[in-house]
Amino acid sequence: MSSRILPDFELLLPQSVPEAVELLAAHRDRITVMAGGTDVMVAMKFAQSPAQLPDYLMSLEHVPGLAYVLFDPDKGLRIGAKATIAELLAQAEVKQHYRALWNAARTFATVQVRNTATVLGNLLRASPAGDCSCAIYAIGGTVALQGPAGRREVDIDDFWLSYGVTARRPDELAVELILPPPAAGSRCAFKRMTRTNEDLAKLNVAVRLEMAGNTCVDARLAMGCVAPTPLRLTKTETLLKGRELTAEVLQSVAASVPWEIDPIDDKRSTAEYRRQVSGVLLKRAIQEACGAA
Amino acid sequence: MNRETIVGTSAPRVDVRDKATGQALYAADIDLPGMLYGKVVRCWEHAHARVVRLDLSAAAKSPGVVRVLGPQDVTANRYNSSVLDLMVSEQMHDMLGDIEDQRIFTDHVKFQGDAICGIIAKSEEAAERAAAKVIVEYEPLPVYLTADASKQPDAIRFTPEKPGNLAFQLPEPMFPGHALGGGDVEAAMRDADLVVEDVFYVPKQKQCQMEPHAYIAKLDSTGRLNCWTSSQMPKLVQAKLAKLFGLPMSLVKVTPTVIGGGFGTRLGLISEPQACAMAMSVPGHAVKLLTLREEDWVISPSRHPGKYWMKIGFRKDGTPLACDARFENYKGGYYLDASGTAFTAGAWLGGMYKFPALRYKGESYFTNQGLTGAYRGYGNPQTNFVLEQLIDRACAQMGADPVEWRKQWHKGVGDDGWCPGVTYPSCALDECLDRGAAAIGWSEKRRQYAHQSGTVRRGVGVAVMNHTSGAMPMLLEHTACTVKLNEDATAEILFACSDMGQGSHTALKQIAAETLGFPFDHVQLSSGTSDVAGFDIGAHASRTIYVGGAAVKKACEDVRRQLLERAGRHLQVSPDELDIRDKRIFVKADPARAIEAETITRAGVYHFIDPATGQAGGEPGQIQGYVSFFAPHNSPPFGASFAEVEVDTETGEVRVLELVNAHDIGRAINPAAVEGQLEGGIQQGLGFVLSEEMYYDGNGRILNNSFTDYKMFGPSDMPKITTILVEDPDPVGPFGAKSVGESGLVSPVGAVANAIFNAIGIQFTEAPITPEKVLKGILEQGVRDYGSIGGAH
Repeated sequence: MSSRILPDFELLLPQSVPEAVELLAAHRDRITVMAGGTDVMVAMKFAQSPAQLPDYLMSLEHVPGLAYVLFDPDKGLRIGAKATIAELLAQAEVKQHYRALWNAARTFATVQVRNTATVLGNLLRASPAGDCSCAIYAIGGTVALQGPAGRREVDIDDFWLSYGVTARRPDELAVELILPPPAAGSRCAFKRMTRTNEDLAKLNVAVRLEMAGNTCVDARLAMGCVAPTPLRLTKTETLLKGRELTAEVLQSVAASVPWEIDPIDDKRSTAEYRRQVSGVLLKRAIQEACGAA
Repeated sequence: MNRETIVGTSAPRVDVRDKATGQALYAADIDLPGMLYGKVVRCWEHAHARVVRLDLSAAAKSPGVVRVLGPQDVTANRYNSSVLDLMVSEQMHDMLGDIEDQRIFTDHVKFQGDAICGIIAKSEEAAERAAAKVIVEYEPLPVYLTADASKQPDAIRFTPEKPGNLAFQLPEPMFPGHALGGGDVEAAMRDADLVVEDVFYVPKQKQCQMEPHAYIAKLDSTGRLNCWTSSQMPKLVQAKLAKLFGLPMSLVKVTPTVIGGGFGTRLGLISEPQACAMAMSVPGHAVKLLTLREEDWVISPSRHPGKYWMKIGFRKDGTPLACDARFENYKGGYYLDASGTAFTAGAWLGGMYKFPALRYKGESYFTNQGLTGAYRGYGNPQTNFVLEQLIDRACAQMGADPVEWRKQWHKGVGDDGWCPGVTYPSCALDECLDRGAAAIGWSEKRRQYAHQSGTVRRGVGVAVMNHTSGAMPMLLEHTACTVKLNEDATAEILFACSDMGQGSHTALKQIAAETLGFPFDHVQLSSGTSDVAGFDIGAHASRTIYVGGAAVKKACEDVRRQLLERAGRHLQVSPDELDIRDKRIFVKADPARAIEAETITRAGVYHFIDPATGQAGGEPGQIQGYVSFFAPHNSPPFGASFAEVEVDTETGEVRVLELVNAHDIGRAINPAAVEGQLEGGIQQGLGFVLSEEMYYDGNGRILNNSFTDYKMFGPSDMPKITTILVEDPDPVGPFGAKSVGESGLVSPVGAVANAIFNAIGIQFTEAPITPEKVLKGILEQGVRDYGSIGGAH
C-alpha cells in the first residue's frame, strides 16, 4: 500500500559535483541520489518498512553541467547524469547512429515520465526491465563514476551486479555515460513486448551487429526481463559471429536463446511465455537491424 | 421526419467546461472550516482472519489525533452497501435472501482491505502517521478464493445465514429447480444433431473510474448528519445512512458532488458509513475521508468473476433447440448484490435467441476476494463471452454464416425480453447486423480469411447483445421530477439522478427544452440535495434517459399544459389548438395569434392590481410541474459488434484493427453523447476480453491494484472505431429513446473472441485472452484455417 505523504527525510542540495561526492562520502548508504525522481518518489511512497527509506535524499537539481547529450563522430556519445529521456530523443545523432537506444527511449514509459526521467537513472535503477538499459547494454559503453579518489570508468558489461545493485560505490556519483563512436557496418535495433503500449516491458531485446556484407563479424545481444539484471546473450552471440545471416543461422540463434535465459513468472507475464517468445523477438531484432541499415 | 429541433442535436455537454478547465468541484476538492481528516485502518496482511487484539492507545497519543474509533465506538448495526434490497418488495427481499452482513469496523476480516478501525486527526498526514501506530494482531483463517474452495463442507462460514457459503442461488419459488427458463432441456438436447459445450472463466474487471472515492461528513449543530458523496444514487444513500444510524431521513442530508466516473462502482455505499461514523464522533466538525487509488481498488466492488458452463443443442439446419448454462460467480467477502449478477447473466442469455428450451442456474459463492458488485454491463459481458463464442463454434461446425444465423434466430418484437412476460416493443438488430457487416466488409473478409498462410493471420468476428433500459419489473423503477418556471419563463428542473459524466444531464435538458418549447439555455437542471430533490433510485441499469427522461418529459408536459391553458384563456382558443416554439405560444392554424410565455409567467408571479382598473393582469400563480413516475417498460436496446483482429502466431499477440459498434438505440437524444457511450464501452469491452483482470496471490492478497500492474487499453492501444446509431424509435421511450449507457461494452467482447477464432481457428475459454494464452493455444492445437473447420465456408 502506498501513502499520500512522503516519509521524513533530509533534502540535500549540493551545488557542484565535488560537493555531491563529499556528501556521499559523509553519508554513504544512508543517502539516495535523485535526478528525475520518477523511480525514487514511487519507491518512497511504496516503501514497506522504514529500513527501505533513506535518511537523506540528495537531489542533483542544483548541480550544474550534467544535463548534456554530446555527440562526437570520433569519440562517441556522452550522456550527462541529468540528461532526460526527452533530451536524448531530441538529438538527431542519437536517432541516426544509436537507433536501438533511440527506439528504446521513444517507447520508454510516457511523455510525462520521459520529460523528467534520466538515462543514467535508468541504468542506476538496475532493473532487468529497463528499456534504455537493454539498448545501452547491446551498444556497449562505460559509466563514469566520480568518487573521493577521483574518476573511474566501469564497462557496462561489469555495471550491474544483481537486482537493484550496481558497481557504483556508496561514495561515488555517476556523472556520465559514454557510448562508443559509430563504426561503419555497425547496426543496432531494439524491440520490446508489453501488455499495452504504455507499460513496462515483459520482454525486451537489443542487438548490435558488426556486419561485412551479409556476414556478421561481431555481435552484442542484450535481453531484459529474463534474469535479475539485464542479460548479455553471450552464447548466442557466438552463433552469429563469422556467420552469414541466413534463415538457418537465424533459426539456430532463435533456438539458442531460451537456454540462455532464466525468466520468472510475475505480474506482466510468465517464465514459460518469455522462453517461448525470446528467440522470436531476438530474431526480429536482428532482422530489423539488418533491414534498417 | 422528426419535428424536434433540440432533441436529436449534439448539444454541448453541460459539465464539460468545468471538467476540462479543472473547475469542477469533486468531494476531495471541497474544504470546510475546521475540517478534520479521517483515515480508515485496513487489514492489508490477510484476506481472511480474526482480529484477536486491537490496541489503539499509541495511535490515540500520536500528534494531531482527535479521536480513534474501534468497532465498539461506532454503531453495531449491520448494513448491505448495495441498494438492491431497497429496490424490491419485502417479500421479494426475503425470497432472494438479501442480508445485511457488513459492519463499519470488523473483527472478522473477510477480504484484504476490510476496515478495522478509524483515525480522526487535524491533518491527513497526522491521520496516516497515527494509523501506522495502530497495533492489530490477527489469527489467520483459511483463505478461499474460488467457489470450489469456499463451498467445501469444512470451510468456515462467512455468515451464519448462508450455509455452504452459497450467498445466492435463484430462489426455488420463482425459479423451479433454481433455474431460469423453461421447456424440457434434457429432451431437447437428446434431439440435437449438434451439441457444443464448454466451461469458461470470466475475469474480475475493475471499473478504473478516474476519481478515487472521497467523502466529507459532518454532524451539524441541529443534529443532522450531512454527507457529501459522489454516489450514483444519492437518494438511496440517504435512506441507507438513515437506517444504519437509526436516524429519521429528515436528519440525514446527502449532497451529491461531481462524479469522476462511475461505471457501477458507486452504486450504493462504499465508505460513506465509515465517513459518517467518524463525523458523528466529532460533532460540529466536518471530516474528510479520502482513499488511495490502491485502496479504492480493493474496497469498491468490481465485476463478478467466475466459472461459466454452457451447452447448446442444434438441429442440422441450424435451428437452436436448447441452452443449458450455469454461472458460478466468486463473490468477495460480503453479500452486496449477490442476487443481481447471478440473475441478470441468465436474463440476458434468455433475451437473446429463440431457444425453445432454456435452463440457466446462477449462483454466488462467498470468497476472500475483493468485493464484487455492479460494473457496466452487469453480467452481460460474462454471458456474451460464453454464449457468442459457442454460437460461433456451432456456426463453424454447421457451415453457417454467423451473421445470417444471428439474423435468423435472435429474438425480436413480441418475443419475451430478458424478463419473461415483458415482450420487446422494438428491435432493429437486423439493421445493426446489416450496417455493421457492410462497414467492416464482412462477406469479403470472411472469404479472404478462410484460408491464410504466414505467421500473421487476420480474422473478423461478430457478436450481438440485448440489454435493458431501466430494471423494471425486476427492480423498482421510480423517479420524481419537479419543474418550476421562473417569472422570465425559464425553467428550473430538479431531478435527483446523478450525471456520472455520460452526458445524461445534457440530454435531459434537451428533452426538457424540447417539451417546453424553450431554448436549451433557458432550462436549468440539477440533482439538488436530498433536502429538495424528490425520490429517485439513481443512475444505474441504463435508466437515466429512458426512465429519467420520461419523468422529465412528463413533468415538463405538466408545465406545458398549464401554460397552454392560461394562453388558451387569453387567446380564447382551446389549449389543443396551441403550440410553443421558442417561448412563444401561438395558434397552430393562425400563428399570428400568439402570446409570449413570459407574459404569462410574469403575470403569474408579479400579480399586481392595476390601480386604474382595480383589476389584476393575467392569471396568478407560479407554474410548477411535478411527476412521480413509474416506468411502464424496459425497452431493451440491441447491438451488434464487428471486430477485425490480427494475430501474430509466433508471439500470440492480438492487435485489434477495427471495431464497429452498431446499436439499436431507438432514438439518439444527443448523438455525440451516444457515440461517446458506445466508444467508451468499446474501450472497456476490449479490456475485458484482452487485457484486464484483477488477480491474487495464494493468500488472497491482490497483486495488481494499480495502473502500473493492471492494464486497461490506453488511447494508443485503441483500434479504429466506427459507431453506427440505428434509429428506429421505440414506442415507449421518451422521443423513442432506448438506453445506451452500458450496452456498448457488451458485444465487443464476443466479437473480438470470435475474430480471433476466425483468424487462427482456436477458441479461448478464459478471459482475458492474453498473448500467453493465445501462444499456448497455438502451440498445443496448431493454427487452423477457419475454412477447414467442420463445414465452415
